[in-house]
Amino acid sequence: MTLRVPVGPIYDPVGMEGAAAVGVEWWLRGAGDRDTRQLNDALDSLGCRHSEAAAAYFITFAAAQVHQRLPEVLELYRDIMLAPRLADDGFEPSRDLVANDLLSLDDHPAQKANVLIRERFFPAPLGCYHLGRPEALASMTAESVRDHVLGNLAPAGSILAVAGKIHWDELRDLAEKHFADWPGRPAPAAQTTPATGGFEHIEKDTAQTHIALAQPSVTLESKHYYPSRVAVCVLSGGMSGRLMTEVREKRGLVYRVGTSYRSLKSHAGWFTYAGTVPEKAQETLDVTVGELRRLSEGISEAELARAKTQLKSDTIMGLDLSGTRSAWMDSDWHHLGRVRTIDEITQAIDAVTTDDVMAYLNAFPAKDFVGVVIGPEPIDTGVLEA
Amino acid sequence: MEFREHKLENGLTVLAEMNPAAASAAQGFFIRTGSRDETPEVWGVSHFLEHMMFKGNEQRTAHDFNLAFDGLGAQYNAATSQEKTVYYGAVLAEHQHEFLTLLCDLLRPSLRQDDFDVEKQVILDEIALYEDQPTWRVYRELMAAYFDGHPLGHDVLGTIPSVTDMTRDGMLRYFQRRYVSGSMILVGAGNVNFDAMVAQAEGVAETWPTALAPRQHPPAPDHRDQRVLTDADLQRQHIGIMSPAPSEQDEQRYAAELACSILGDVTNSRLFYRLIEPAIAEDAQVIYEGLDGVGAAFTYVSCDPAKASEALGLVRQELKTFQDGGPTDAELAAAKNKLASGATLASESPMRRLMGVGNDWCYRHSYTPLEESIQELMVVTRQDVQDVTRQWDLSAVSLVTLGPLESL
Repeated sequence: MTLRVPVGPIYDPVGMEGAAAVGVEWWLRGAGDRDTRQLNDALDSLGCRHSEAAAAYFITFAAAQVHQRLPEVLELYRDIMLAPRLADDGFEPSRDLVANDLLSLDDHPAQKANVLIRERFFPAPLGCYHLGRPEALASMTAESVRDHVLGNLAPAGSILAVAGKIHWDELRDLAEKHFADWPGRPAPAAQTTPATGGFEHIEKDTAQTHIALAQPSVTLESKHYYPSRVAVCVLSGGMSGRLMTEVREKRGLVYRVGTSYRSLKSHAGWFTYAGTVPEKAQETLDVTVGELRRLSEGISEAELARAKTQLKSDTIMGLDLSGTRSAWMDSDWHHLGRVRTIDEITQAIDAVTTDDVMAYLNAFPAKDFVGVVIGPEPIDTGVLEA
Repeated sequence: MEFREHKLENGLTVLAEMNPAAASAAQGFFIRTGSRDETPEVWGVSHFLEHMMFKGNEQRTAHDFNLAFDGLGAQYNAATSQEKTVYYGAVLAEHQHEFLTLLCDLLRPSLRQDDFDVEKQVILDEIALYEDQPTWRVYRELMAAYFDGHPLGHDVLGTIPSVTDMTRDGMLRYFQRRYVSGSMILVGAGNVNFDAMVAQAEGVAETWPTALAPRQHPPAPDHRDQRVLTDADLQRQHIGIMSPAPSEQDEQRYAAELACSILGDVTNSRLFYRLIEPAIAEDAQVIYEGLDGVGAAFTYVSCDPAKASEALGLVRQELKTFQDGGPTDAELAAAKNKLASGATLASESPMRRLMGVGNDWCYRHSYTPLEESIQELMVVTRQDVQDVTRQWDLSAVSLVTLGPLESL
């Protein structure tokens, strides 16, 4: 089960960046008539494996349990949604945990490169790191975070998705029973400012040089969406993808290299990461960007067929996991306002031709790169301008 | 779910746990060899060899293999630990045969010198990758401290000098000695056809060398070591503690797993309330690690260097309190439910079941259905949990800290 509420970090008020993340740490510290320990015990005693996360538009509550326990789990989540305690004494430790996590990002340079590239690529606040900024965290109060979270928490824009051994009528009745009296208010809106873009080198004495790049792509609603996914797969789907073949297999430049497609509702991009020892960083960047550009020279029918098989196979095999299914449903609902069927997805993938991929690549050639490099020495980024 | 088992004449065991309702068919070869079976001149060879297996043979180049796997839409990988090397993957059920053909073919590599030279660079990069991950550095150093002088004490990846100096011939000798039918199993899970698996394995594996690769089982050392690694560039202090625990073959492993969960699960555990809830540390976990003939409990904490001493004191206090008083009924019940529920959910995935069935066989030469292992967990008593923490002394620890501090 996933329950997403639209109080994500992108709605953090200016000067309160990190409020949603603090909310996540604070949220399960008691709800209804249960304190922290009683609430955790109640979830554990139902065998509920739960996690909470703040990302982009939402705070997401994910819970997995055997199907017989779902009614009781939903009852607990009613309290969590409608009656979280958010008591004063839980605020400071919640904020400190977020501040600590923010500091510990410095100890994980690969992860940091991926955080910074999102911040540079997506318009603010869409790509902003959910843990916020140290000075914003320091200035928050229990009252200001509580007012923000509870003031925006509403059923409008929230999504409850459940996959597994369930009956729709029972689920609907349970949702009605527990959430029908959740007071409604308009869904929040976020004001965006243009992305920073550009390139940044962060000098740090790391063992590897971490290279992160991003370039614009299309969202799920676009006619170019499936061609874009196919093109990423040609580049980076499996060990036979062009990046693995050229950068790792032929030249031994890296252990890890790859491009992935990432999308928010209004913006999407291709994100490429490569990590290598500093002496090979320049060649790694040059070869990687060369491959991103070479795509527009054409892809073969064999590459197209392989990419389509991989995308379809991943989609169908994902059906074996109920967690994947519920995440996929609520993502579709958020992006499209409906849930695509497996047939719709596989037919759309089947229909992609090499011409479609080339049309996409003509519309979105490999340029307008945004880049972040973390490593001991700067590298020449001329290849990004070419 | 139906379980089947068959032993080929050459000693290769074939097993499957079949679930016809699954979309995917998972298959994999488990080789009972890993870094603990290496001699010092080839430290890191198990893992390096795992990479080289994908480099092809007389019939197929590395690229041919990659194209063929990806052409089936396979989700596939390989993994090397101290004790096992696994080549595995999942495909849609209709591709079971082709996928197994590729896996079998993979196991007869040419180990060409030029591929070896290129791949060595990739391995050195992988070593560098882990150097940028403090948790991994702590774990590696802790294993070295705890298992000092024991075959489990050296890192799976090897070291930069051991990998740099490794030769193709040294790797070939290791391969010939360790990749023998008696030390391998072929496992299937999910929507697999067992008879077809056996027939196919019979056809290709009959020429494989028949033997059993032995393994040394020296006792775990009982000296304990404390090491401080200072790295002024790090923001946080990373603390690792290792203490004795039952082995994978020991009946007490269920009690050990429960003890570690009650003490140090990420939520609702003793360390959670002592360290995370009050924000003294941002990460605190205790993980049970069952191994072949030995075992260990790994505790990891990450915190502000200024609070490291306080955090470590609290961890020690909690370990001691737990050892003295054991768990409460509520704690034990909650931990059982969490673990049972986690195992049930994981069983949805044929790939996860493949790992479960393969591990069971590698360590215990037996198959335990999911319901049975949950039952084993459910019958553990408070006394069992307390006994395990006393018999396997939680306070007999090796300790490693990594971060800006020069002493702790």
